[in-house]
Amino acid sequence: MAWRDWRSGELGLLLVALVVAVGTVTAISLFVDRLHQALLLESANFLAADRYVSSSREIPQAFRDAAQARGLQITDTMVFPSMVFAGDERNQLVSVKAVGEGYPLRGSLVVSMEPFASGQDIDSVPTPGEIWMDSRLFPSLDIGLGDEVEVGLARLKVGKVLIKEPDRGGSFFDLGPRLLMNIADVPATEVVQPGSRIGYRMLLKGPDTELEALKDELPLEPNYRWVGIRDSSPRIGSALDRAESFLLLGGLLAVLLAGVAVALSAHRYSKRHYDHVGILKTLGATPNQILYGYLGILVVIGVVAVFLGLLLGGVLHLGIVAALQTLIPVDLPMPGPRPFLLGSATGLICALAFAMPPLLHLKNISPMRVIRRDLGTAPASQWLSYGAAAAGSLFLLIWYSGSWFLTFWMLVGTLVVLVVFGTLATLLLRGGRIVGMQAGSGLRLALSGLQRRHKENTAQILIFGLAIMLLLILVLLRTALIDEWRAALPENTPNHFLMNITPAQLEGVEDLLADGAERQGPLYPMIRGRVVEVNGIDSQEWQDQHRHPDMPGPRLRSERNLTWTTELPKDNQVVSGRWWGEDSRAREVSLEGDYARELGLGLGDVLKFDIGGQTIETEVTSLRKLDWESMQPNFFIIISPSGLQDFAATYMTSFFLPTEEKRFLNRLLSEFPTITVIEVDAIIEQVQSIVDRVTQAVELVLSLVVVSGCLVLIASIQASRDARMAEHALVRTLGGTRNLIRTSLAAEFTALGLFSGLVAVVGAEVTVWLLQVQVFELPARLHPWLWLLSPLAGAALILVVGMVGTRRLVSSPPILVLRALS
Amino acid sequence: MAAEIASITQLLTSGCMSRMVIRAAGIEKVVPTAEGQLTILAGIELEINAGESLAIVGASGSGKTTLLGILAGLDLPSAGQVFLAERELTALDEEDRALLRGEHVGFVFQTFQLLGSLTALENVMLPAELRGDADAEAEAIGVLDKVGLRDRIGHYPRQLSGGEQQRVAIARAFASKPTVLFADEPTGNLDTKTGQKIIDLIFELNQEFNTTLVLVTHDDRIADRCNRIVEIDGGRLQ
Repeated sequence: MAWRDWRSGELGLLLVALVVAVGTVTAISLFVDRLHQALLLESANFLAADRYVSSSREIPQAFRDAAQARGLQITDTMVFPSMVFAGDERNQLVSVKAVGEGYPLRGSLVVSMEPFASGQDIDSVPTPGEIWMDSRLFPSLDIGLGDEVEVGLARLKVGKVLIKEPDRGGSFFDLGPRLLMNIADVPATEVVQPGSRIGYRMLLKGPDTELEALKDELPLEPNYRWVGIRDSSPRIGSALDRAESFLLLGGLLAVLLAGVAVALSAHRYSKRHYDHVGILKTLGATPNQILYGYLGILVVIGVVAVFLGLLLGGVLHLGIVAALQTLIPVDLPMPGPRPFLLGSATGLICALAFAMPPLLHLKNISPMRVIRRDLGTAPASQWLSYGAAAAGSLFLLIWYSGSWFLTFWMLVGTLVVLVVFGTLATLLLRGGRIVGMQAGSGLRLALSGLQRRHKENTAQILIFGLAIMLLLILVLLRTALIDEWRAALPENTPNHFLMNITPAQLEGVEDLLADGAERQGPLYPMIRGRVVEVNGIDSQEWQDQHRHPDMPGPRLRSERNLTWTTELPKDNQVVSGRWWGEDSRAREVSLEGDYARELGLGLGDVLKFDIGGQTIETEVTSLRKLDWESMQPNFFIIISPSGLQDFAATYMTSFFLPTEEKRFLNRLLSEFPTITVIEVDAIIEQVQSIVDRVTQAVELVLSLVVVSGCLVLIASIQASRDARMAEHALVRTLGGTRNLIRTSLAAEFTALGLFSGLVAVVGAEVTVWLLQVQVFELPARLHPWLWLLSPLAGAALILVVGMVGTRRLVSSPPILVLRALS
Repeated sequence: MAAEIASITQLLTSGCMSRMVIRAAGIEKVVPTAEGQLTILAGIELEINAGESLAIVGASGSGKTTLLGILAGLDLPSAGQVFLAERELTALDEEDRALLRGEHVGFVFQTFQLLGSLTALENVMLPAELRGDADAEAEAIGVLDKVGLRDRIGHYPRQLSGGEQQRVAIARAFASKPTVLFADEPTGNLDTKTGQKIIDLIFELNQEFNTTLVLVTHDDRIADRCNRIVEIDGGRLQ
């Protein structure tokens, strides 16, 4: 029976819908799976490892033993500040990183034989006795490759120029120029003394399960910190989380849309088989024979569809990878089995939940239908159809997303649309009929047709509306996500910082920057100072009273960079108190909110600062919130100009320098060797490249979902084609011209599209609002332009798809149409 | 004595001949409509003997097609009993009714009702296949030969004329050697000449297979060829 049905082309549409369902899901999951792995790997570059343990204490040998026992790869790094001396005249504060063999475990070091060159990957570390240094240290120390420098007590030879290291991140003021050395040379430098500020890390690489097991096994608290990509770089962590949620959501919607397409095709297949089953029954086929026969067909179709779908998905995803090869210059890891399992299961579940209910209904067709067509179409069990589809969707959604939360909100959005907009669609159809009565014949025919088949059309508006809504949701979320990512790091974000500019150098530096750099940030005066008293109490005592000595956080007594300014810096926001005015004469201080809270400081407290032996007293008059993720200089403590402007300050500023103009640094440092340059371009570049790739993935998934959506539209128009064909063929036999039919069809599709677009925009706004607030934690807003665009786009889309799908209906002679349908 | 024996034999034979195949008792069919209950059939009492040919005639909407459906077990009455081949149809479920139809009943319809996705041969083989008969094909070819379509067995219904399609339907009906053949306006969709040939074919095969024929028609000339005519009007037998 299956073969005969197939031969007659009856099963084609169902098979295509199932193949597309399996293919889309497989392609999306394959690509997402591989891209996700690649993104994780690339993100792991930020750590130079999959995870690491960090501490200000030495990592115990027991930790290494435990990691090795689990078969994990490990290596150690130490980071500490030190002075480096070249001859008697030149010296520079650097951030030394001492690394063990195997470093980095993820990503790679880039070195060159010439400062400020682009460099090449290298998979070794400096040999003992050798160091590699940042480009900018060469001009400031006035040395070349092969020269020797002193680090502590050790004399080490400069072997290579260090261009890039994967884990260059870290806090803003920790970014001295880098000097990379072998960890075996550290004892000889004798810089590690009790009390030295050293960051120890044990880098780890291996399977996730082993890593997580190790995390549970190690006694980390309170001195050791376990760090993964999400802990180390919250910005990238949250971008990844959101991208993952978005990709999942996209995948979910593709599954749902495919399910709807399958249900529509199965419904049509089933409807076209009512007569067939009627005849079979009059010839003695029992209900069970009918049932098993159609289930057999479904199984055959399901298996064939899964096989073809997996093949299609595989090919499609290879095509996507090939097309994006230039955009995704990372090697994608091989996919795991999950995408294939997911694709197969989707095929089977779609067949069971979406295609089976209409086929089950066939066994209830009465044989009486053969002689009385108006009889014998017992209504399908609505509960069975909708219940199975809902259960199937729910299962797929939860399995696919692994998130009850996301699934729940998706379903809430969909349910609201179904219930509220079913009513809305009915009202719109009624309204359309009233308008149609006043209109010309083509339009009247169309609108009365809409009203006559109002049940089918309500369903169709809901399906179109749902498909358009899902697309709108994706577009809106994509825009919101990408805008936010881009806003976090706009183009030309300052990527270099200059510090220690003396007032005498100020003019020269500014001239040079105006000449060589593309854009310059504001100038901040900087003065080093420490808090010695709070409200007359010694600051150490105050800190002990307000915070447990072992608690992490800023120390009150530490020397800090202070600045003064009349204007509130950009990205700063006063959360309590008030900002001083331009003509303030009082000595006031503004503190960063978290800093103040952790140290028990508030408005009205009086802080006494020691600045180079002189003291000043200031009153806290405001607390500020900072955007720590912005690549801007941020200060815990800002003092009003009247407090600080009489002290000798150095200045800092920031500027943007494109990679190809890095040689400018050479000029700057040769002219002003005492200035400190901090390069953050590598970090910004890394973050931007991740954001770019995530954006590409998001856009790709969106386009695949659009394809699924269009398939649903086609399937839905196909499903109602027979009824339309019969009606219009009849109108033509009664003298209706082709033009009338064409106008009527166009009007009908336009009206359906308008109504669907309207339904969709309401649903999309509600769902997006919920998703933004509940899932993505983005600010919610309405999109007025969408209220115009969505109905228009809906009308245009359905008009085009509909007219293409029914063009034969208009061009075939009516007798052929009627004969084909009888 | 010989005459007596002959007479008893004739009696026995005729008794056998007149064995009842269908009995309908107190049949009613009521369907719900928007305006309330609509009675389509009421008080139908009918007996049909084996080998008999019966014409059911009546105006459009008189209920004759509904009665045919109920007698054939395609539909159930709202009240009353129907016996077919000594089994009470009205007491069977759809599963058993289907089996009974497969064993005893053949149909010829006004609109031919061939499966468009099957060839002529496959259409004719279908009832036997459904019963699980092994030699379905040989039998089907034999009957197609009888209706004169030996050379068209590989053709699909859309490649055949109306008369040819109805001949395939007749071959399908007789291929399962039914006890009763139900025919619903078998010539309604054909021109007079072709219709005449089809009716000839039905009666010819009916004779050959010794089948009971129940025929719904409003063509008096066709009805006149049957042993018995019953007229239905307003849902009641006249």
